Amino acid sequence: MYAVETQNLVKQYGKTQALKGLDFIVNEGEIMVLLGPNGSGKTTLLMILATVLKPTSGTAKVMGIDVAKYPTRVRQILGISFQDARGFWRHKPAEILRFHAAMCGVKKSERDDLINRVLKEMELWDARNKLFMQLSGGQAKRLEVAKILVQNPKFAIFDEPSSQVDLRGKRTIWEKILELKEKGATLLVATNEVREAEYLADRVTILENGKNIVCDTVQNLKDKIAGGDIVELELEHVENDSALQDELAKIPGTVKLAALQEDKFKIYVSMAEAWVPKMTSLCYERNIRVSSVRVTEPSLDDVFLSFTGKKLETTENA
Amino acid sequence: MLDVLRVVWFDLKHELYPPVWIGLQWFSFSIQIFIYGAIISQLVNIPSIGSYQMFYAVGFMVMMTFDVGSHAGREFVEAAHEGRLPYLLSLPISRSKLFLSIALKGGLELALMLLVPFTIVLSLIGNLTVISVLAAALALFFLGFGVAGLMLGLSFIAFKSSDLYVAITTGLSALLIRFSTVLYPLFYLAQAQPGYATVARFSPLTYGADLVHLFLGFNPNLFLNASIAIAVLTGLAVSTLGLGIFLLGRLVEGVKSG
Repeated sequence: MYAVETQNLVKQYGKTQALKGLDFIVNEGEIMVLLGPNGSGKTTLLMILATVLKPTSGTAKVMGIDVAKYPTRVRQILGISFQDARGFWRHKPAEILRFHAAMCGVKKSERDDLINRVLKEMELWDARNKLFMQLSGGQAKRLEVAKILVQNPKFAIFDEPSSQVDLRGKRTIWEKILELKEKGATLLVATNEVREAEYLADRVTILENGKNIVCDTVQNLKDKIAGGDIVELELEHVENDSALQDELAKIPGTVKLAALQEDKFKIYVSMAEAWVPKMTSLCYERNIRVSSVRVTEPSLDDVFLSFTGKKLETTENA
Repeated sequence: MLDVLRVVWFDLKHELYPPVWIGLQWFSFSIQIFIYGAIISQLVNIPSIGSYQMFYAVGFMVMMTFDVGSHAGREFVEAAHEGRLPYLLSLPISRSKLFLSIALKGGLELALMLLVPFTIVLSLIGNLTVISVLAAALALFFLGFGVAGLMLGLSFIAFKSSDLYVAITTGLSALLIRFSTVLYPLFYLAQAQPGYATVARFSPLTYGADLVHLFLGFNPNLFLNASIAIAVLTGLAVSTLGLGIFLLGRLVEGVKSG
């Protein structure tokens, strides 16, 4: 059984189709990151899985339960941290968490200790009795995540969990998300932050215009980019060795070779880890000493660019 | 049922700590009745209704009921746009229980708002039976639920444009209050301005105001037939609340942000 399974999922808002026949799978116990620019359909998908929105057509199942047919059952096993933590302006963090815990069935005898612990862990203890409207953007976001920590659901959804949060706050949130996974939860995280995706993801799904473009582990996605790895090779005492350049260019993983200087090359390679030994042994066979090898992996931004033809940051700003 | 009460209390308590808004409503009612009502009753003289201040007090209470009812409907739309509704929709509670909690919260809010005005009106009028007091209270609740349901039924407009929703509900509220028998009995309107009286028959407030006046002991000849008024109010409350349940269960979805 998959934690999430959607088949040909469509969501239409008037004339706009936010999801266009989406097929999507999340395995139990993994962290799946949805990567895509604003408007790509991430939030719509999350809202459908959380039973807040209804699909126009197609099916979506959470832990094998159809979200359209049995929404209340889905809500009993799922927790969601919304993108915009708003709406309870005159409530205080502690009472918001108390209400959430009670609604999600946390035992009364455990509630206070649990909430106090989570408030401290999420650095909200000093703000626990402030009104929600007096919280900073980062505090409000941490409170949104704290709701999930109090609930401890089997399946948790995070919609841009660390946007508007400072670097320290991001780390705290990411660590807590990883802790949830260690406890056995399945997590679905939507983000347009590459660093967040790389830090958290077991697998990444790239969404664009309501469609699933590609889904795989971060490493496999990077490896799928032809010439995505960059090997900077610096040699000693080489003078215009065109034969060596030809040999290096013929290595199967090499996509492009650029000679920066007579003894310095920039080689665009697919799966550098497989071909760098071949490069160094070629040099060795020609009695050329390698003074340095530096391998740079592509970022998820490069992966996004490779699969969609657009930079993630550019599309976000568009 | 505990879940329903939890949602009601969570939503209601921030209005009670401190109860500024409720206190202001009570204060405003007292000012209206004891100062403005006393002055206007010197100017208005309709022999068949006795003291106009009493009639005005009951009418003003009906207007408050309308305001609280429409506020409940508007609050629902606000909740959708601010993100509170998506959160409530994501809680492990059925849609019907959620709707019940919204309706209960509206009812309790109405009861709190009317607590002091209703007590003032009863003490001003005096000499009432328990049955007539209960019947008047029930009529006010039916009116409140009906108006809240009406505003909720119009909430689908807000999902297209909240500005349009505010414009329509504000305009509709003004029309429903102005063209009603809240402040003047229908027979008087029919004599003074027949066209106005005809339009007033289409306002739900007319039926609410007439019933409450009637139950609180005013001259029955001044008002619409009680059975028709009861039927209209019941029909309004049941149909609009039914529409509310339908909208929440089938159509209303949290407004997607981002």
